[in-house]
Amino acid sequence: MRRRRTNVTVELRKNKRDDIVLKRRNVPLLSGTDSEEESQLQNTSYAQIVQNASSDQPNLQLGAVQTARKLLSSDRNPPIDSLIESGILPVLVACLQRHDNPSLQFEAAWALTNIASGTSEQTQSVVKAGAVPHFKNLLSSPHQNVCEQAVWALGNIIGDGPACRDYCIKEGVVHPLLSFINPNIPLSFLRNVTWVLVNMCRNKDPPPPLVVIQDILRGLCTLIMHKDTSILVDTVWALSYLTDGGNSQIQMVIDSEVVPNLVNLLSHPEVKVQTAALRAVGNIVTGTDEQTQVVLDCDVLSRFPALLAHKKEKINKEAVWFLSNITAGNQKQVQLVIDAGLIPDIVRLLDRGDFQTQKEAAWAVSNLTISGKKEQVVVLIENKVIPPLCNLLTVKDPQIVQVCLDGIGNILRMAGENYHVIADMIESAGGVDKIESLQQSENDEIYKLAFEIIEQYFSDDVGGLDPQPTDEDKGYHFDGNASVPPEGFQFN
Amino acid sequence: MLINDIRLQFYDKIIHKRVLLLVSHDVDALCACKILQALFHCDHIQYTIVAVAGKQDLERAFLEHSEQLEFVVMINCGGNIDLIELLQPEENVVFYICDSHRPIHLNNVFNDSQVKMLVNSGDEFNLPAYEDVIRNEESDEDDSGNESDEPSGKRRRFDEATLERKMEKRRKRREWEQNKERIMYDYDEFSFYGTAASLVMYDLAWKLSKDTNDLLWWAITGLTSQLIAKRIDREKYVSDVTELNRHVSRHNHRGNEDECPLSVNSMKISFVPELQLTLYKHWSLFESLRHSAYTACTLKLWTLKGQKKLNEFLADMGLPLAQSKQKFSAMDVEFKDNVKDWLETSAKKFGLDNISVPSFQVQFGFKHKYCALDVAFAVDALLESVNTSKSAEERFMEALDCLSRTYIDKLEDGLDLCKQQMMGVVNQVQSLLDMKKVVSAGPFLYAFVPDGTPGSKFFSRPNCLMTLGRFTLEAYVKLYNRRKARNLPLVVTAPLDFENGTSLVVGIPPLPELEQASRNFFGKAFEQAAEKTGSRTLHDNFEPSVVIMRTEDRSKFFDALISLLQ
Repeated sequence: MRRRRTNVTVELRKNKRDDIVLKRRNVPLLSGTDSEEESQLQNTSYAQIVQNASSDQPNLQLGAVQTARKLLSSDRNPPIDSLIESGILPVLVACLQRHDNPSLQFEAAWALTNIASGTSEQTQSVVKAGAVPHFKNLLSSPHQNVCEQAVWALGNIIGDGPACRDYCIKEGVVHPLLSFINPNIPLSFLRNVTWVLVNMCRNKDPPPPLVVIQDILRGLCTLIMHKDTSILVDTVWALSYLTDGGNSQIQMVIDSEVVPNLVNLLSHPEVKVQTAALRAVGNIVTGTDEQTQVVLDCDVLSRFPALLAHKKEKINKEAVWFLSNITAGNQKQVQLVIDAGLIPDIVRLLDRGDFQTQKEAAWAVSNLTISGKKEQVVVLIENKVIPPLCNLLTVKDPQIVQVCLDGIGNILRMAGENYHVIADMIESAGGVDKIESLQQSENDEIYKLAFEIIEQYFSDDVGGLDPQPTDEDKGYHFDGNASVPPEGFQFN
Repeated sequence: MLINDIRLQFYDKIIHKRVLLLVSHDVDALCACKILQALFHCDHIQYTIVAVAGKQDLERAFLEHSEQLEFVVMINCGGNIDLIELLQPEENVVFYICDSHRPIHLNNVFNDSQVKMLVNSGDEFNLPAYEDVIRNEESDEDDSGNESDEPSGKRRRFDEATLERKMEKRRKRREWEQNKERIMYDYDEFSFYGTAASLVMYDLAWKLSKDTNDLLWWAITGLTSQLIAKRIDREKYVSDVTELNRHVSRHNHRGNEDECPLSVNSMKISFVPELQLTLYKHWSLFESLRHSAYTACTLKLWTLKGQKKLNEFLADMGLPLAQSKQKFSAMDVEFKDNVKDWLETSAKKFGLDNISVPSFQVQFGFKHKYCALDVAFAVDALLESVNTSKSAEERFMEALDCLSRTYIDKLEDGLDLCKQQMMGVVNQVQSLLDMKKVVSAGPFLYAFVPDGTPGSKFFSRPNCLMTLGRFTLEAYVKLYNRRKARNLPLVVTAPLDFENGTSLVVGIPPLPELEQASRNFFGKAFEQAAEKTGSRTLHDNFEPSVVIMRTEDRSKFFDALISLLQ
């Protein structure tokens, strides 16, 4: 079973710990409300700023817009709402149209950028004030600072959500934006452009129009060649958002022939790039077997020993998640994972990874027991998968318990008449007690699985009776004695 | 937080409440526990007592009992670990910790609501300043956003001044982090011990005016156990003894012996200088000299020459060999009465200047007379008994019982066990030296106790393995007298569980450090070496210089340790 990423990774225990951390500090929270008088005073001065900003004296006007911009660019608590209430938005939007005064355009665009950087409501109010068409016009301004500021402002608006994004697309911002991707543009400018593209790709409910995706993909394919880390990170995140939007979008990304580049970036020295690239290829292998094969054909698995041994736990986790979707594939794909020598690493992380990684490893193992053939499952057993699998039966997360039980059940079933070899391993790993106590589980699925396993393989009254699967060549064929030979299992 | 008024802030809070009492496996903890139990009996405080050998026990005990209880008292455990992090308790649970392990975990020190540390006000903690190690949430919020992986959806453009301020803030923060790292390194570098838990508890009893000779004796035993395990140096010991002696004279003040004769039920404690010879009153003097680290190592009894020297020593004292091999209690009265003085005089000629320490002895009625050193040894031996038919809990309860006057016979069992242990230790030291099994790894010495030797079972217990380690180190250094070896620490491993393939590992600091400050840097070193090599180790013991390890990981673990300590 292929799984998309789930965002609900916050655990109860972690939540609780955060509470305690707060409490441990025991520092009274200071509230920073200003006195009534002070805010009164400020309101009058905001009104003054707005009034001056619409003055026809150029110096007074520029000064006032600049003051507003500075207030909005200061460190903490920018007075966004106060300025909006004082009616500054139409004044600023008017300033955007003053092509005779680029300094004024720049200051106004900056101020609007920062207003749009706030809450969704604040961003919407900028859109409602009619700023978007003017920003679009400013994209062709001959003054680079104005141009860049307009890009930034549009980025904030597009980042607000699909509605704002599609509105900007309709206003025709995509082509001018993509035209900035050329060798002559300054680095900081290009970073901003790339970031706007990320925001274009970010929201998938609904995704951007197909043609736009095609256009953006062309830009991203150029940007992925760039050397600058921050551009790379944003580019790859944009691709990972696109690949998170269903199989047809995955296909578009594959067709843009960017996959080999993504695979290369898995070995990038910068962790942030690796993280993003891993997410992108991980999303692709949630697709069909054919789409998954495209990634595998880039020799992606040779990158994984490093990722599985990475010191960042998060990378371990996502790497195992990736592999769990390969072991959910066809038997040829499962074999590739085995041939790449990754099974020992997966079992190691199942045993001793952090909990999130252990969960993914449980999926990887359980998937393999479903889609793999018995020779492939034997590799798991040779790598001592049973003890860590049994250990995970006591965790609180019912889904993981179920996944592990599933895996154990599948392994036992595949063993056929030689099931007792596996049963002995489970017994000596202390797994039988755990499975027995899972029969008390409140979770129906867990209870059923546990009950079946105990009944079929561990209940005494089975005695001489063989469990059902008696089909001869379905079972493992082990050497006669039940103990594990030092050189591993042998098939006859 | 550290508590300064133990009566007001601790005892008055738990009186009439139900209490969970978690006690670690060491003699001082047992003594403190006895004192606290006596107080609880006086005031009808209900309690549940659970023995905990390590962090896993602690976690389990807490989980099993936490539902009904709000007050948890911990003795010689919990102080040097982040309790809130480990146990994830409900908000209403309060921990009172009386733990001599140092350094105290800073999160325990700075938690004002749930963790209360019962400490001796005279101890020095060298605590770092709060603001140097813990940052306020508020100043964090600006930069915390940088950590997330995904690009942010909206961005504000700051002006130059703000950007600079942010850079400055970030720089300051980095500096702060570095500074914190340094402070924490200094604070955590060594593990050591503070005032005995039993003394802290006795102090409480005294402040409640509920102290008696029994309680005082337990405090003395606890303190003495700290000395024999080298948890505190001689200086600290002597100052604590002086303090206790004031209580001893107060409780044992008697006018004229003839006017109030000793009754069968009376208990009398007296201050005496005592020979640092293991159990000599319950053994023969000859055996005791052979089995005491100080005499055995100084006289180099491992060699023929050393054995001759022992005979010379006895001759110098004027004690016939036959007498010295008699049970001490069966020696001629003339010798028995004078042997202490003679021994002290001769000892100086043989380089044994520190043969005696100030100590106490107790007399129950007419019959039983024990010195504190012997009792401390005996209790420890019961606690670390290797009798496989006894569970850890049973050993704990037996050791706890033998501290009561009513179970004197158990104490006698402990003395016998202790002799067996010490014989095991001395045989092992002899064989390690004979076989040249104490090897220098460069920055430290090491010795592996091989599996299957007659005494090896004794060394599956941490205290006994540490005794072996200290004994071996002292013997090695004094025997070879190499300048380089004198300042080397020692790592000893012994088989713990053959079937599971695990070993017990302890680190013994260099002799000068052991004698002066008793501080141990192995806790940190073991942690780092294990982390670096991915060795399968279990840092479960409350003493960080004791770890359990997969035997097969030993060589890579030692390689890492060598490069770490170089």
